[in-house]
Amino acid sequence: MKRRVLAAFLSVAMMASLLVGCGSGSNSGETAKGDAEAQSWQDADYTGEDPQLETKLKFLTIWAEDNDNGILINKICQDYKDNVNPNFEWEYEMVAADNLTQKIATLSASNDLPDVFAYEAGAPLRTLIDADKVADISEVVETIGVEDSLSESAVALMKGLSETDALYDLPLGLNVEGFWYNKELFEKAGCEVPATWDEFEEVLKKLDAAGIQPLVTGGADKWLATRLINAYAVRTMGNDIMTKAANGEADYTDEGLVAAAQKLADWAEAGYFGEGVTTVDANTAGSMVMSGKGAIFYNGSWFTQNLTDPSQNPAGEDGIGFFNIPVVDESISSATSYSMNCGNILALDKAKFNEGTAWFLKYFIENMGNAAMEELGTVKGYTYTTEAESMDSYTKLVLNEIDKATEGFAWWEAKMDAELSKTAQENVQPLLNGDMTAEEYMQSIQDVYDLNK
Amino acid sequence: MKRVLGNKKAIALFVVPALVLYTILVMVPVIWSLYYSLFNGSPGLNWEFVGFDNYLKLFSDKKFLDALSVNARYISVVTVGQVGLGLLLALMFRFWLRRCKTIVRTLVFFPVVLPTVAVGQLFAKIYEIQPSYGLLNSFLDSVGLSNLVQPWIGQESTALAMLCIMDIWVAMGFYSVIFYGALLDIPEDILEAARIDGAGSFQMFRRILLPLLRPMIITSLVFSFSGTVKMFESALALTNGGPGTATKSLSMYMYDVSFTYNKVGYGSVIAIVIFLICIVGSGVINMFDVKEDKR
Amino acid sequence: MKKAKSGFKGLVIFLICVIEIYPLFWMLTASLKQQSEWSEYPAYALNKGFHIQNYIDAWTRGNMATFFKNSLITTLVSLVFIVIFATTVGFAVTKMQWKHREKVALFFRLGIMIPVATALIPLFQIYSKANLLNTRTCLILTYIAFGLSLSIYLVQGYLRSFPDDIMEAAVIDGCGIYRMMWHIVVPLMKNAIVTVLVLQFFFKWNDLLFSMTFISDSSLKTVQTGLLYFSDEFGGKNWGAIFASVSMSVFPMLVLYTALNKKIMEGMTAGAVKG
Repeated sequence: MKRRVLAAFLSVAMMASLLVGCGSGSNSGETAKGDAEAQSWQDADYTGEDPQLETKLKFLTIWAEDNDNGILINKICQDYKDNVNPNFEWEYEMVAADNLTQKIATLSASNDLPDVFAYEAGAPLRTLIDADKVADISEVVETIGVEDSLSESAVALMKGLSETDALYDLPLGLNVEGFWYNKELFEKAGCEVPATWDEFEEVLKKLDAAGIQPLVTGGADKWLATRLINAYAVRTMGNDIMTKAANGEADYTDEGLVAAAQKLADWAEAGYFGEGVTTVDANTAGSMVMSGKGAIFYNGSWFTQNLTDPSQNPAGEDGIGFFNIPVVDESISSATSYSMNCGNILALDKAKFNEGTAWFLKYFIENMGNAAMEELGTVKGYTYTTEAESMDSYTKLVLNEIDKATEGFAWWEAKMDAELSKTAQENVQPLLNGDMTAEEYMQSIQDVYDLNK
Repeated sequence: MKRVLGNKKAIALFVVPALVLYTILVMVPVIWSLYYSLFNGSPGLNWEFVGFDNYLKLFSDKKFLDALSVNARYISVVTVGQVGLGLLLALMFRFWLRRCKTIVRTLVFFPVVLPTVAVGQLFAKIYEIQPSYGLLNSFLDSVGLSNLVQPWIGQESTALAMLCIMDIWVAMGFYSVIFYGALLDIPEDILEAARIDGAGSFQMFRRILLPLLRPMIITSLVFSFSGTVKMFESALALTNGGPGTATKSLSMYMYDVSFTYNKVGYGSVIAIVIFLICIVGSGVINMFDVKEDKR
Repeated sequence: MKKAKSGFKGLVIFLICVIEIYPLFWMLTASLKQQSEWSEYPAYALNKGFHIQNYIDAWTRGNMATFFKNSLITTLVSLVFIVIFATTVGFAVTKMQWKHREKVALFFRLGIMIPVATALIPLFQIYSKANLLNTRTCLILTYIAFGLSLSIYLVQGYLRSFPDDIMEAAVIDGCGIYRMMWHIVVPLMKNAIVTVLVLQFFFKWNDLLFSMTFISDSSLKTVQTGLLYFSDEFGGKNWGAIFASVSMSVFPMLVLYTALNKKIMEGMTAGAVKG
């Protein structure tokens, strides 16, 4: 009997695989259906009461349900279900951050994107936009009338990252990046916060001379190290240098970029990062600064998550300070240009977008700003009306820096495609170890760029 | 007898389900890979026929050649290490160990049971250098060899070797148990006769044990080889292919190409190369077997 | 002299045991350390207290309970099928008489040489189209299919030396094929079956490539994928909890293994891995 069941089961499996053989033909049909649905949601009127449509959304993100954006998304979904639409259901799924791009790429190849998913802004999102896979958020926002709930600077930043006129994603953070430093160590070595790059180099020398490890970085996580190259590259060549390189207006092997890579190699050579920098992960690097094992750490404002946790931060509420990337030439890149970043963003599958999703999104966008402020005390790129009850000093510090920003620039890999960015990150390790020269590093990026042009 | 063993219905029942499953999930995908390898891009997005371009690209792809060399070095060291040390351990168990045989064998076998990722994380911590010394470095430091303290998995020169050590550590117990079984099958009187003839330990090994163990050694080598060719789990868990691409294997590169770069066609070509290495390598190892038979 | 020699031997054996076991012992102590102990004391220091919180974190936040269940289900189910298929197919191609058995045996043997990576992309497509991605079924099916070749090969090796006269006697007694299979062949193949079980268990239990490709739902992840991603968006790692999870994933194995140790050793040593 069991045998027969098995045989039946196997023949089903075989059928399925036969169907797969001609699967590619059916893709066009699916898209057409998607378009038809897309027509209908725009016709609805979104000014009145929520019609409580039966809606089931699938989320794919990189945050655990009890962590960071995971808390927010689930809270808003729950509130929406409780307060507005009892017919709303959601499924929350999490993948590892490392795995996100490949997961989404493969899902999109099989036309099976989740309704709402976290993704990387910049080149990865651009690929999906070009393949017409993600919903046009500008259109959605306009139709449902929630333009005012999105922060202008976040919108500008995100449009800039994907280089599109319309918006195709929702922000989940509005971060500035820069140097976090241990105040006690600065005092010990008699250092002032540097404003210019020369002063910065002086500080590093002084710290080193005082027997303090001047810099820490997460060489194992790679992206933290490439941020340092970016910092110098932008300050010497302008805020848009990496965009130019990505568009072919500049070469990755340009002297200035090589010099920026050389900067990182020099620091590593001088031992500023300590031993075995390529084995240090982001968390370790962060805790080294907080516990006074290293003085300066380049990271984004999401680092406040760790800073505000007393069990992680022995330096206490006022032990760590922040300064923007020091300036080389004010006319090339100004002191109020910050490396800005909207974290991982949320995108929506175009094919499955419907009226129910639009209603949910209306609630989501309208309430995200306040929820983020109340739950986490952070800014996520939405306008908010409440103040967090007891905003801690680090969050204030970050909000203050965000206010100062007049211009933003993106990170090293923002405009690179997957292969280019992987190359840039992988090879930063031999660069740090001295197994690769700055020229070779930049050349390796240029080679991949040329190959895929 | 013949009627029973020739029972068509029984044969069909025994063979067909497995055959169907195996064909669909193992053989069809391999052929499918061959077909994919003629395309560029990934299905669903920018998919175009390019013929043998992908194959030609292999020879000028430095990353591919690097991964190939990593794989080759890894295979040769780990295969020999696992089987060689396994054999050595088995010999010790057989001839040195009088008491606690079972306990020792059990202990040595134990790492085999551990999840690879767990082992990877364990060893990452053992090799650690910053922010505090891991087990290895603090040991070196405390016995006065502090000049040997180094970022073991953070530098190109040692990362691959450290990975090999880890994988040998994991599997040598497994092979020792297999060899131990084979050694037990060798009758005591053959060994006794050799001893009376005045054969030393080494001679005994070469003249008597080695020929008798030969089939076992070859099986184990094939076994270890097919395990090491795929080189994926342990490298991912310990070094994630780094530093740079110093421990990035063909499988990992293939994974990147197909799933991160979205070049499924080119990824399939690399998959086929892995397949060919497997065939050729096993063929080479098996050649020793054939020679023995003919003699 | 002789004493010194045996002392030396004892020492070598002892060292081997230390090399094999110490890392595991160290892992256990590490799993009980507080985050701060990592930076304040050398790595070989014993844990200062019993920081059980690590285990609680791992079990609740780290979802180890779920990962464990998933690993067990996928591994055990696929093992049952592998053993059934391996014995039946192995028997059919070695002992039974039919026309194409040599060809079929060769066809199965080919699979030993196929690296899993080669089939990965098409398999992903197959499962994606069949809507099987993110299910245990697709992992189990893959595990079975990829476990067959080697298992059948091992069973065949064992069956070749299987005495025909026992079967003949059974047939004379009026045994049909199924009864003979179940009452005579299978019991005599116990060792071969144990070998297959042990080998395949380790392969399946340790699989990472398939599970990380086919499974993204965290409620379906196996121990391996779960452990690999025990870090957050920006690469944070809580070593205490990681080692707590690792220890937890090791202990049931240890218990299972000690319980079955004798059987496993018998199977492995007297068993079929004899080419």
